[in-house]
Amino acid sequence: MARERISQADEWQTWAQRYDIEGGVRTFESGLTGKVFFGALFVGLLMMPGSIYLSYVSGQSGAAAAPWVAVILFTELARRSFTTARRQELYMLLSLTGAAVGSGMQYRSFIWYAYFVNTPQAISYEIADKIPAWVVPAGDSVGVLTRNLLHPDWLLPIGIYLAGKFLGTLRVVSGQYILFRFTADLERLPYPMAPITAQGATALAETTGKQETWRWQIFSIGSMAGLIWGFIYIGVPALTGVMMSEPIQILKIPWIDFTQSIEGFAPTGVFALRTDFGQMLFGFVLPFPVVMSEFVTAMLSQFVLNPQILYRNEILHQWTSGLDVRAVGLFNDLDFYRSYGMGKNFSLGLVGLAASVPMLFKLRSSQKKAGERGSLATPPNRGDFPLWLMGVLWLIGMGGFVWLIHWMVPNFPLSFLLGFAFLYTPINSYITARTFGVLGRDLFEIPYLHEITFILSRYEEIDIWFAPLPDEDYGAGTQGWRVLELTGTTFTSNLAATLLIMPILIVSGIVVQHFIWQIAPIPSAQYPFVQMMWPINATNECLMKTSLRDGNSEIIQAIRGDYVAAGFTSSLAIYGLLWVLKYPSMWFYGIIGGIGADPGSMVARLLGAIIGRFYMIKRFGLKRWFMFNPVLAAGFACGVGLIGMGTVAIALVSKAVIVKPF
Amino acid sequence: MEKLASIIIIIGTVFWFISILFLGGRWQWQMLSALILTIGIFIAHFWEELSEGKNKNTPKDDN
Repeated sequence: MARERISQADEWQTWAQRYDIEGGVRTFESGLTGKVFFGALFVGLLMMPGSIYLSYVSGQSGAAAAPWVAVILFTELARRSFTTARRQELYMLLSLTGAAVGSGMQYRSFIWYAYFVNTPQAISYEIADKIPAWVVPAGDSVGVLTRNLLHPDWLLPIGIYLAGKFLGTLRVVSGQYILFRFTADLERLPYPMAPITAQGATALAETTGKQETWRWQIFSIGSMAGLIWGFIYIGVPALTGVMMSEPIQILKIPWIDFTQSIEGFAPTGVFALRTDFGQMLFGFVLPFPVVMSEFVTAMLSQFVLNPQILYRNEILHQWTSGLDVRAVGLFNDLDFYRSYGMGKNFSLGLVGLAASVPMLFKLRSSQKKAGERGSLATPPNRGDFPLWLMGVLWLIGMGGFVWLIHWMVPNFPLSFLLGFAFLYTPINSYITARTFGVLGRDLFEIPYLHEITFILSRYEEIDIWFAPLPDEDYGAGTQGWRVLELTGTTFTSNLAATLLIMPILIVSGIVVQHFIWQIAPIPSAQYPFVQMMWPINATNECLMKTSLRDGNSEIIQAIRGDYVAAGFTSSLAIYGLLWVLKYPSMWFYGIIGGIGADPGSMVARLLGAIIGRFYMIKRFGLKRWFMFNPVLAAGFACGVGLIGMGTVAIALVSKAVIVKPF
Repeated sequence: MEKLASIIIIIGTVFWFISILFLGGRWQWQMLSALILTIGIFIAHFWEELSEGKNKNTPKDDN
């Protein structure tokens, strides 16, 4: 039976409606009140230490989950005060607490470079003494050796960071907003992950009213599941790490590596089962065609494409027996996928342009209302900003940033900075905004543009590698604007709250990061994740930063025009053929995401998707299940956040007070 | 327009296979295929936008 053609417009509109919790009907209100502001500040600052600590221990900051704790406290206070909390207030609380919890992470790069500057890798590659003073003080400086972020040695790096932060706010807010208008308003991309946050806030807001609905029940089920899972995955290692030199891991973090087990029949294939089964909840939420096609493609990549085609034809040529997932992944990447991935990225941009350019052509003649695909009209009272104003702000922010970088690396050609700022950044951001609009995550980064630029610029000083080049990505942030829309929170109130809380977080973040660093060297046995990952990251960074030295570059040699072209053209062919065969374009994003990816990292998400598709939908019906699953995922995140913060707080306090005799 | 777009896309895909299998996978030939595919994809989307409203198929809500 021949398939009926579904236009991409209809396809996206249907998905967008499915993920729109109120069916597109909503009123907008401000979420910023005094109690929200101070509540967020109080709870956020309380949780920030745990979040930073968790990121060093397990690789996940928990910053996304922790704000739920604040919201629950807030709603309980509201109930006991016989008052109600609006969902706009609760979302604002979530957002501000998230910012407060995450504020310590902004100084993570200082800790990284303080480690990097004294690594054997940096010394042997002759980088250590060439790192500019605006990145990190010298390796033998007091600020580094005594692990003291508050020492005057750090004044220049932190000062530069703050100047960049101010200009960054201008760029990020305006850049995200402009992209949001194009992807969400004009193209009506569905943003499948946005309802998780929005539904969570709605569920909790209802608990303060007179009547509780199904939302609170589902949220509680998710929370309990999150508590149990969080205890197993985060709690046990964190608590046993306090008492023992080697923490007990019931499930190995972050994965169980089967790469060596499959090498007999699939050389160059990787399979590392990611043990974070919390990902199942995301499988519930994400579009089934995306999850399924992504997994199938990843399996085919690792078990057919890699061993049978690429390995046999000696395209993947660095592989040897006995390597683990990280090494095989690195070699495969260097041999083929790095180049291929670049081509794939460009195809995503082109496909996005192909879908949106015809809409822009029709924009003037169309008489569409707000909420319809192909219209840039805004819903009333959403608190929108004029697009021209945001454009001007972005230009000011970006212009100032380029000037700052030019001051830091005055001999680097200005034309290249301008190219990054005004050409690469808009394209890269648009690609990511689209992948967030469809997949709810960033699919790719366009790699090694820096390296190519440095070669072309003939600039040979190493300081440029440490400069914050203006290659930015505002795409991920567009999802936040969609959440604001779904919760009915005015954009203006969100902007005001962000600007108010920022100065406080800038100061508090550095103090807390300083304290965590004082507890133990980072990395060390106290921080198993960074102890495992940072040495290999240091090697990678050395390889990267010396890649152009003496014209002998492993990285640049890894970029092959033929493979880039293969990535670009094969992706376009897949997209085109799916269109010809009348398959939904969702499949394209799944297939592209799966090529070269490790299927082991997708198992949990796939399980969630299958359970959702073949059991939950049949049990509850499609509409109810799509209403339930974001609430469930929000509850789960809340549960994991609670257990994570609780156990980490215990670990943190005990490590701060116990003096070990040895 | 729909048929034209389909034919161009199929030609681009076949040409890409040829460039990989018989022309040594050189980037110049591949990029020529990419150009053909790009034209086909743009025509496909322009056709979709222009025929919007005429085509009333609604996607099946089957996840």
